[in-house]
Amino acid sequence: MQTAEWALVIYTILIQMAVGAFLILGAMHVLAYRKAGAEEADRLSDRALYAIGPVVVIGVLASMLHLGNPLNSYKVLSNIGSSWLSREIAMTILFGGLGAVFALLQWRKIGSFAVRTVVAVLTAIAGIGLVFSMSQIYMLPTQPAWNTFGTPVQFFTTALLLGSLAVGAALVANYAYLRSRGEGACLETQGELLCTSIRWIVILAVALLGVELIVFPITIAYLAAGPVEAVQSAAKLFGEFGVLTVLRVLLVFVGAGVFGLFLYRRLRDNSPENFPAALVYGAFALVLIGEVVGRFLFYATHVGINIGV
Amino acid sequence: MGKQLGFYVDLGKCTGCKACQIACKDNSNLPLGVNYRRVVQYTGGDWVQDGDLYIPAGVYTYYVSVACMHCANPLCVEGCPTGAMYKREEDGVVLIDPSKCVGCRYCEWACPYGAPQFDAEAGIMTKCDFCVDEQAAGEKPVCVAGCPFRALDYGDIDELRAKYGDFADPAPLPDPSITRPSVVFSPHKNTRTSKAADGQVMNVEEAI
Repeated sequence: MQTAEWALVIYTILIQMAVGAFLILGAMHVLAYRKAGAEEADRLSDRALYAIGPVVVIGVLASMLHLGNPLNSYKVLSNIGSSWLSREIAMTILFGGLGAVFALLQWRKIGSFAVRTVVAVLTAIAGIGLVFSMSQIYMLPTQPAWNTFGTPVQFFTTALLLGSLAVGAALVANYAYLRSRGEGACLETQGELLCTSIRWIVILAVALLGVELIVFPITIAYLAAGPVEAVQSAAKLFGEFGVLTVLRVLLVFVGAGVFGLFLYRRLRDNSPENFPAALVYGAFALVLIGEVVGRFLFYATHVGINIGV
Repeated sequence: MGKQLGFYVDLGKCTGCKACQIACKDNSNLPLGVNYRRVVQYTGGDWVQDGDLYIPAGVYTYYVSVACMHCANPLCVEGCPTGAMYKREEDGVVLIDPSKCVGCRYCEWACPYGAPQFDAEAGIMTKCDFCVDEQAAGEKPVCVAGCPFRALDYGDIDELRAKYGDFADPAPLPDPSITRPSVVFSPHKNTRTSKAADGQVMNVEEAI
């Protein structure tokens, strides 16, 4: 595998994680808003929101590395009428731009709550459109291994799974930061909000793990019954790259499933005392590595319809 | 729809000498690993042992000369984000505008014929341009002119189909319904179709 494809692995993983994180963080914010009001909700989620920015920027920079002639990058929106690649880039700009505006409004508390909510919802819609257009790029009739329902399902699952665990890790880090600053007044509320949020995140992560564990074998069965190139792709996944395939499933299973289960049991009593931060960071790290391996395999094992040379 | 240029290959005449591949490579001064036209060897059948002898059982080989098919449904043009890959109005030839290409290589994934090829030095995609400059000067495409067996021809695809038929499905080429290539083949006596491909591509290194 070449640098060009590693660039795509990093770009797609980071952008999908950013979209998923924005969606999940929005949900956690609404949850916190209902429980403890606007000020506490902002205190819970604002710093995590700002962290999404650099993730998008690094993703976009990585995508440049797969271009042979990046000086022409400014022309990539020219074929938006028929090219999903153009549309993906347009959606990236839209998601990144709206997200940046929202973060600015949120940071400076500019505009009413309603205005900021509208911008956030628009950003979320752009994010969903972005992940969808990303998946459509790979739905080529000449790439049987990619041209299945598994591609959009997998992209959205990756987005939400990585997004939720990234938000979990960010909220834990945020709480540690608040505690280090000694903002005593809010710590109790924030601790409760954190525990509730993490519990929801764990439930979501386990559900998404379930989706992955169901969709993966169905996709493989579909490939195995498909044209010769699809069969070759499936064979690569279990032959040449078999170890990585097993590793990928194991990492996501242990990260989201096993760590999730431990976390859920530890959080039953809603007490931020002895909060199992390492479990949250660990789950995020394991699933991140697992999804990166999964995306590597996506690019490394596809066999296009070809003339045999 | 305007005129559409296409290629014709007589698989019965082609001996796999690769003069077309070399004529093209020479004319366009192509680097190692880039071949706008390639000749693929397709082989099938078995050898069965009879005592001390091995007897051929349906062994066959034929060669398929492949360049850009200047398709009616060019997935490379459809997917290109910059519009660098385009289909020329007047003759349906698929061309790359090097001043627009960003080198993302998406056309490489889209094309089932391996026509767009990456020029690593320039960082952009390159492909068969149907020798449009030679044609403008009244000459034939160099692959057609270079074929010592007169197995290659070119012209308006409707005229080619009227003259040679409309077969466009020899193995190991993909099913022509995917991109609707502007090409006609006269089959070799052993030609298999994409749906009944019981052979395999041999001596790959000769075509890359």
